[in-house]
Amino acid sequence: MPILEVKDLKVGYVDVQRQTLVAVDGVGFSLEKGEALGIVGESGCGKSTIARALMGYLRPGGEILGGSIELAGNFVFDLGPNALRNLRGEIVAIVPQNPLSSLTYHMTVGAHLQEILQFHRGLSAAHAKAETLSLFEATGLPEPETVYKRYPHQISGGQRQRVVIAAALACQPALMILDEPTTALDTTTEMQVLKLIKDLRKKIDTAIVYITHDLTLTNYMCDRVLVMHDGKIIEQGQADTIFEQPKEKYTRQLVAAIPRVDEPPKREKIAEEQLGGKLLEVKELSFAYKPQWSMAQMFRAVDSQIVVKNVSFDIRKSETLGLVGESGSGKSTVANIISGLQPPMGGGIYFANELLHPRGEKRPPEVLRRIQLIFQDPLSSLNPRHRVGTILTGTIMGFLGVSRREATDRAVVLLEDLELPIGFLNRYPRQLSGGQQQRVAIARAFAANPDLIICDEITSALDVSVQAQVLDLLMAMQKKNQTACMFISHDLGVIREVSHRTVVMRHGLIVETGETEALFEHTNDPYTKHLLAAAQRRDDSIDQPQFRLNTGSNQPSERPYQS
Amino acid sequence: MSEATTWNRIQRSPGTMIGLALVLAHALVAIFAPWIAPYEVTSIVGFPMSPIGTPDFLLGTDNIGRDYLSRLMMGGRTSIFVALVAIAGSVAGASFLAISAAYIGGHYDDIVMRIVDTMLAIPGILFVALIVTGFGRSEAVLIFAIGFSYMPGAIRVIRSHALTIVPLGYVQAARLRGISVFRIFLRELLPNCIEIITVEFALRMSSSILAVSALSFLGLGISPPTPDWGLMIAEAVKTIYAAPMLVLLPSLFISTLVVGLNLASDGLANAIGLDAARGLN
Amino acid sequence: MLMALVRRLMLSCLILFMVAVFVFAATEVLPGDALDVYLSSDDLAVMSEADIDEMRQRFGLDRPAWVRFWEWFSGAIFGDLGKTLIDERDIVDLIWHPLLNSVILGAIITAITLPTAFTIGSITGYKRGSRTDAAVSTLTIVGYSIPDFVIGNVLIILFAVWLALFPAVIFVFSNASTSELLAVSLLPALTVIIGHVAHQSRLLRAGFIETMNSEFVERARLSGLSERRVVLRHALPASVIPMLNSLALYVAGLLAGLVVVERVFGYPGLGRELIEAVARREVHVVQGITFWSASFIILMNLLADLAIMALDPRVRSAKSA
Repeated sequence: MPILEVKDLKVGYVDVQRQTLVAVDGVGFSLEKGEALGIVGESGCGKSTIARALMGYLRPGGEILGGSIELAGNFVFDLGPNALRNLRGEIVAIVPQNPLSSLTYHMTVGAHLQEILQFHRGLSAAHAKAETLSLFEATGLPEPETVYKRYPHQISGGQRQRVVIAAALACQPALMILDEPTTALDTTTEMQVLKLIKDLRKKIDTAIVYITHDLTLTNYMCDRVLVMHDGKIIEQGQADTIFEQPKEKYTRQLVAAIPRVDEPPKREKIAEEQLGGKLLEVKELSFAYKPQWSMAQMFRAVDSQIVVKNVSFDIRKSETLGLVGESGSGKSTVANIISGLQPPMGGGIYFANELLHPRGEKRPPEVLRRIQLIFQDPLSSLNPRHRVGTILTGTIMGFLGVSRREATDRAVVLLEDLELPIGFLNRYPRQLSGGQQQRVAIARAFAANPDLIICDEITSALDVSVQAQVLDLLMAMQKKNQTACMFISHDLGVIREVSHRTVVMRHGLIVETGETEALFEHTNDPYTKHLLAAAQRRDDSIDQPQFRLNTGSNQPSERPYQS
Repeated sequence: MSEATTWNRIQRSPGTMIGLALVLAHALVAIFAPWIAPYEVTSIVGFPMSPIGTPDFLLGTDNIGRDYLSRLMMGGRTSIFVALVAIAGSVAGASFLAISAAYIGGHYDDIVMRIVDTMLAIPGILFVALIVTGFGRSEAVLIFAIGFSYMPGAIRVIRSHALTIVPLGYVQAARLRGISVFRIFLRELLPNCIEIITVEFALRMSSSILAVSALSFLGLGISPPTPDWGLMIAEAVKTIYAAPMLVLLPSLFISTLVVGLNLASDGLANAIGLDAARGLN
Repeated sequence: MLMALVRRLMLSCLILFMVAVFVFAATEVLPGDALDVYLSSDDLAVMSEADIDEMRQRFGLDRPAWVRFWEWFSGAIFGDLGKTLIDERDIVDLIWHPLLNSVILGAIITAITLPTAFTIGSITGYKRGSRTDAAVSTLTIVGYSIPDFVIGNVLIILFAVWLALFPAVIFVFSNASTSELLAVSLLPALTVIIGHVAHQSRLLRAGFIETMNSEFVERARLSGLSERRVVLRHALPASVIPMLNSLALYVAGLLAGLVVVERVFGYPGLGRELIEAVARREVHVVQGITFWSASFIILMNLLADLAIMALDPRVRSAKSA
């Protein structure tokens, strides 16, 4: 008897103009007791809507257009409010994506569990507290007594997620829904939390619906997988089969687009012989946040103390250097320093053998032209009030001093290179998709004919298939212009695809530098090995206590990257 | 969202449309009053305190015998003029200071914010009373005082918005284009603050018209014999038992104008996606 | 945390000082000194140079600006505002009773306004989009748009002229007894309350809606807790904190509002004294009233920030960066 039976489910959202947008279009699947089902898809495929619909909840504007959801014998959308409340928490529970914003900031972490236990299981206060502490222990929280009294922002991201998991398991529900639970965590913490869920599940025999965009995770966590696209199920099957032998075209494309950490790159980089002499040299860069004596900065929350210490490396002409590390490793800070947005406290940057001024504004325009920066979030990197054409021609005229007509011609060529329709010249950024926006940002960067492009997590916010396309185009542009690149990412697979050499950073220090293939295949450095193991979703990545991030709240274990 | 749908959303709200209609009506009356008012506002043309509906005097006469309709029609002009100039100057100055403070930061920002805090500690009316005591009662002083009293609040709101824009990619990218700070201000920062600046302008217009009337009522604002609704109410209060309509009519005029402005700016803010009420913080 | 407190206090002191400088400069430095402002052209025609000089000396106005400032400032923070120009009365004596009267009126208004606005704001926020909400919304916009003096006069016309329930203006001496005061404060309080409840409830409604849409409220709902619990335990406390932020603005508005309403009803408060002082160009009185009012607002601001520090755990544990 399956505990969950979804039949031909159709869900839509009604917008302000009374138009209905169908988010879920005829989805059907079933789930047995204790089974783990993954639902995989890119953004907008409807998976988040299904996650909440299983609990009888729809976000404002949502409407059931057809079909049914039967959970433990109850038709979820036929239940009245009281019955629904009993269902939630006792039969089905959810672990949402962002633990910091899902926990109530003015309640202690212990209080969150306490109220669920008292409400649903009718426990007395003392009994509930004891139960809370044992749940905290079961989810691997260190020093449960202390954590109990803390507020959500005082503990680390990984700990917060464990709290949310504990709350979900408090009443031993038959079904637990996990909506991208580790997207806001970095790789190390992510593996720890996933292993925890895997272990707990076996103990309590709870069925799981695991929602993610990452097929490698479902391969690790789940028995079966559903692949969704545009509100429909494309393919269903055993998790490992789908991953290793996908049948449908969409699934095959999806799997092929995932940059592999354990295999050589699929794309061809610029040949070794074509790489030139040193273009950029960075010597002993360092940076730390000093407490600012500023009168009203009373309530500013403390930024993590990102420090960069003694960082040195170089980049050759036409070379791509990969800079990889977890959040808090300082890689973005390095990018900001090199581009001139943030002056360092020590060290120097040499470009074509000339020392660069630490402040970007003070560098000569020629130098500014030759180094270009591309940001992670494409929408905010383009002025919403300027059309794409203006953005491109403005840059071209500004840096190359050509006429408007010439600039427009060059802009057209750029759009063609990046496979964007010429009509986009007249469009505003908000009218483009995320991938298209990022391509415009790339076009803008190349518009100035730079020698070096700094890419700061430029594909981290994009879907996997869009990322693949963007990487293809980026590398093609690089080849065409023989441009060097500093490519920053936390994703080891992407780094392996694009970079000739790789630098691994941790806590502001360089851990290892080397030829990419050699590093990935034969590294001896323990930290690099650990990162590789985590990226490949291997359990042995968890057994390295020295790489477990500290429990203090200021230790960065959160990735700021949104997906 | 394109400009077309913003206008659509505005149209869908009855409150907003009523507001716009009221504002438009008042604007037309105020602009054309000198030509359509039946009598001179300062001439005594009839029997004092004639009631509404007296032949020749549609809305009666005031306590001296001047035609009330004419005075009411002209009554908004000075307040609206003073308020308009004061707020235009105030919002312009505030935008400049707020955006530059958000962008430049550091000690400049600190100093600006300390001055803002200082000014916000003094309630508007007291501020104007202070200035009027020192510098006398004239239209220029009034414009200056009102404008300055609204500046700190506007600076705070615009600065908060600007602070969310400054760290964005396109502003940072502009820093690396070798263009002057002024051009960054003009091309990148200011255009993306237009919405909040417009809302601020609309909101403050309504409260400054209220302020001018209140000040005139208190005797700190516009001086007689210029017709001004607040002043007219103050004068009419003396004969409130005998002729309450003399108080009620200008009250109606002020109220409809301010209600219209508030309905319109509230609807405008909603259509743009901001919450007007919150914007005041 | 302690550091943050200390810095907050220091900030308040700094602002207080800057307010004093500004107030003093606006009346005793920029336009000329107190006497320049006080003496009208008629007076100047009548008095001789020697008389004016003698007056200057008597009031100590021949000394340099910063000396005068320091003397005034050090007096003002400890409760001495100097003497009036016209008859050398102690200013504090002059304004003490009116001050108390205004405080009483203000307290009555606040005590009724805040809970009412909070209730209306939360309820309409919760029922967002319903017809109740739409109706109340329009009512509130009208409520805060109509000026205080209009509402006041309309109430007078309503109760005194048409219904003849109260006399329009009761003349009360400044040192009236409490019961007389309470009787007189009914209409003025009502006038201000209408406008303030309208305004504050809109702010609170917006805050409440924002809170109800947050992720932690969604999670609490999805945990199967009762709606009551979600609203009372999770949502409501979160919407109080932004309310504290606007507390100081509210107080500033209150003081300003009192000035107008006191004039309408002839209430024997500080506002009435202020208007008279402006009319008579009593520079020191205007200075004193403004400075003390501003000090009160700065104090309220400080208390609000301290309350937030006490109530918002995220602020409590923020290190002073």
